[in-house]
Formats: sequence, structure tokens, C-alpha cells
Amino acid sequence: MDNEAQLKLQAYLDGELPEAEAREVANWLARDRDAAALHNELKNTRQALVGHETGIQLPESREFFWSKLEREIQRAEPREAVANAVPWAARIRRFLMPVAGLAVLVVASMLTFNNSSTHVSEMETSDSGAFTYHDDAAGATLVWLSHPLESDPADEDDLDIE
Amino acid sequence: MQTVEPMTGKDHSSADDQSLVKAAQRGDMGAFEELVVRHRDKIYARAFSMMRNEEEAVDLYQEAWVKAWQRLKQFHGESSFGTWLTRIVINLCLDALRKQKRQRAESIEAMDQESGGVERHMPVITTNPTAGLERGELRKRIDEALNKLSHEHRTALILHEFEEMEYKEIAKTMGCSIGTVMSRLFYARRKMAVLLGDLKQQDLI
Amino acid sequence: MTSRPFAAAALVWLSVALALSEASVRAGGADFNLQAQLLWAGNGVNPPEGKNFKPVEPAVAKKLKDLPLKWTTYLEVSRTNFVVALSSARTVDVSAKCQLEVSAKSDSNLEVVLHSKSKEVFKRNQPLPEGEILVLGGNNASNDSAWLVILRRIPRAK
Repeated sequence: MDNEAQLKLQAYLDGELPEAEAREVANWLARDRDAAALHNELKNTRQALVGHETGIQLPESREFFWSKLEREIQRAEPREAVANAVPWAARIRRFLMPVAGLAVLVVASMLTFNNSSTHVSEMETSDSGAFTYHDDAAGATLVWLSHPLESDPADEDDLDIE
Repeated sequence: MQTVEPMTGKDHSSADDQSLVKAAQRGDMGAFEELVVRHRDKIYARAFSMMRNEEEAVDLYQEAWVKAWQRLKQFHGESSFGTWLTRIVINLCLDALRKQKRQRAESIEAMDQESGGVERHMPVITTNPTAGLERGELRKRIDEALNKLSHEHRTALILHEFEEMEYKEIAKTMGCSIGTVMSRLFYARRKMAVLLGDLKQQDLI
Repeated sequence: MTSRPFAAAALVWLSVALALSEASVRAGGADFNLQAQLLWAGNGVNPPEGKNFKPVEPAVAKKLKDLPLKWTTYLEVSRTNFVVALSSARTVDVSAKCQLEVSAKSDSNLEVVLHSKSKEVFKRNQPLPEGEILVLGGNNASNDSAWLVILRRIPRAK
């Protein structure tokens, strides 16, 4: 069974298929034991999770949590009030923001052009699924692959290359 | 048309969410406190399921309530209050997990699960691995199994199984394609099946 | 007998010899002398038994320590030294089922491809200055250990 078929089976279980496709899958399940077994396994897992979160409780008493929350809300409120209190400050901020943004861009482009000033940079390469991390100071680039190798390179059978 | 009764200080426990929200929007902290009490465990459970760490879950849970207070005037009843707040905590957890992914080594070890391929070849677990388990043991196994998933897989599972989101909504929440959601969900379920059955992955591959 | 033709011939041969040696020096300078190491990484678990793993050399261990990796133990499984000339490619075995293919695209950039069971699992253009390492890694099936392939430039063998 290929991956596309497996995911279709899952979509059928989750009610995500259009009616015609759902009927096709139902027919397929009726005649294919492997497909039916996988469907069953997915269903069992789903059922096992039902109600799992019931019983998880906040590990703080109501009073303790509320007093913390109330303090936090009150602490946050004056900052918001100040931000909204002075319209002319807001106008100046609105004017300065693009200017500041432009300044940041200029500085960033200078740094980029001058290169080697980036100490640590990291990128996530979403197209291949790999995660890349580079550290200038350490002189190292790490690429962590999201495609696991089919076999463990350090497996016993793989080590004799000498 | 449903009318919203004006709130008095003593009415909170018998008021419905809608009334409490309206009162809280007018600044009634007592009404807001009642909302906190009503929804506390469910919202916390969501944060904990996603973060798998009590301290982080409590912090994010508190942050969600602060944000809810700050944004309350923007809540117009498009969904239930509980759903609205759950979305806030989910987004906070996702932001935190993404930040951790950039900073912490633990995320790297989980990345190999991302597109995998392993789950396509795992033999099917034909027996119901949870049959015969008493509730406490099942809960413990599920917790252990959830801990072993990467945050991407766990989030897809939680949003589907606990939050009952459709694929499209999960994709939007997680910022990925529907295909990725389906793959992550499939991997998560297959891995859960193995872990709940107390089997080790390397025994099967 | 005049010495002029002899001197001219000597001059010609000397020029040719110089040109050839300069070319070979230039060619040798553009070659990438590389080393690929396969490492096993673990965290409080025992490495596979019966294998001749060696401790990782200190210079590599230090670089790995600076990376956001959680592993506490690194062991060298194998290492291979090889040379890739400019505008050419070379494939070396990292293990029986995994190969590393390196192409020298320019004098500063390499194209690195990792193959596993004849399938390409990673490909990237990567600068690799002297003194830096490229680390490709991934979890093992058990998730409690990992494999790493280190690629770095090494001094030319004398």
C-alpha cells in the first residue's frame, strides 16, 4: 500500500473525503484485509485518545492563580494606557517608524555587504526539510536532516568500509 | 432574541458565559474571574498537552488569560468564549514551540520524524493496544507516548483529536500545507499505536 | 660551434618546465583536500557493541560542543581522506549504505550530496573555508542516538 493510499485511508477515517471517494474507500476496505487492518489500527489509536485531557488540572489553586493573574493584568494595563494616552506621541511615532525602519534596512544591508559580521545565523530550509545552523565563531555549519537515513550509518552491517 | 441580563456582583456563578463576557468587557473583574474558574482546567490541559512541561504550560496559560482580558473587546461571540480562548493559548504555545525549535537541541533530535517514511513501513498493530488497560495506566502510556512525539506531530494530533479541527484549519493554525498535516497526523498516530502497545520502534524496522 | 642555439633551446625547455610546474602548482592549489568522518553520537546510552569506535579528535569535539546539539558522547566510526579537483566530483563511502558525493563547483564552493541506499537524501551548495566543518546529522531509528557526517578540509599530504 503506497503512502497516498494510506493517507487516503486516514482521511476516510477522519471524514475528510468527498462522498464519492469515501464510497470508493469503503469498498476497498471491504475487500482488502491489509487496508482494513490499518484502518482499524488508526481507529483504535483515535479511540484511545478520547477523553485523555479530562483529568489534567491546573497545578495551582484558584485563589493563587487568580491573584497572580490579576496582578499581571493590572501591571499590563498602565503600559497600554500610556501608549494610548498621548495622541501627539502616537503621531510622532507613526512618522518616525518608517524612518527608523529605513535606517534599520540601510544598516542591515551594510552589514550584509561587509559580510562576515554575522556571528550566528540560522536558517530553516523548508524545501528539503533540513534545518541549518551556522556559527561563524565556531567555524561550523550544522545541517540536521529531516529525512532519516533508511539505515543507521553506524549499523553493524554498515561499518566495514576499510 | 436572547437578552443579556445585567450583572451584579453576586450573579457570576449562575450566569452564562455570554453574560460574563459582556460584564467583563465593561470592566467587571469578578465576571472575568468566574470565566477563569470555569475554563481553567480545560485551557490548561491544552497548554500542557502541547508543551509537555508544567512550568511552561502554566506560564503560557497565564499569558493567554492576560491576552484574553486585553482583547476582550474584540471578541464578538463568533465562537464560544472557550473556543476563542483555546485558540489564543494554542497560538501562544505554537509560538513558544517555534522559538524553542530555533534555540533548543531537543527540537533537532525530533526533526527526523518530520517527513519520515518510517511510519509507512511499520507493521500494522492488529490488536487493540489499549484493551484491558485501566484508565490510569492508559493515561500514563498516552502521556509517555505524547512526550516522545516531536512538537509538530504532537500538535497535529492534539489539534485533530482534542480540538477536533479539520485538516484545513490545522494547516492554517500550524502554517503548513494540508498534505503536511495529513503526513504528520499519520506519523503521530502510527507512532502512538506502537508506543501504546509498548513496542519499541527498532524492533519493527 | 656556436652556443647560441644551445642557449636558446635551454631557454625554451626551461620556460616549458616552468610553465608546466606553475600549472601543476595552480591545479594542486585548486584541489580540495577533504576528510569525511562518520560519527556516532549518544546521550547516556551505550554505543553499538563490538565495533572499533574511537574517541573523536579534540578539534572536532570542540566544534561540536559549540553547536546546538544535545549529545554528550561522540565516537568516530570511520574517516576517509580524499581529493576533489576543481570542476570535478568524487564519491566516497561513508558507510556500506551511505555515500558522500562532493563536487568542487568553484574554488570556494562545494556541492555536497548525501546518498543513502542509492537515494539522494540531501544536496546543497556549501562554502567550506579552511578551518571550518560541515556537519550533516540525523537521528537513528531509536531516537536515543544519532549519526553525524563531518566534512572538512585538511592540509595537503606531503
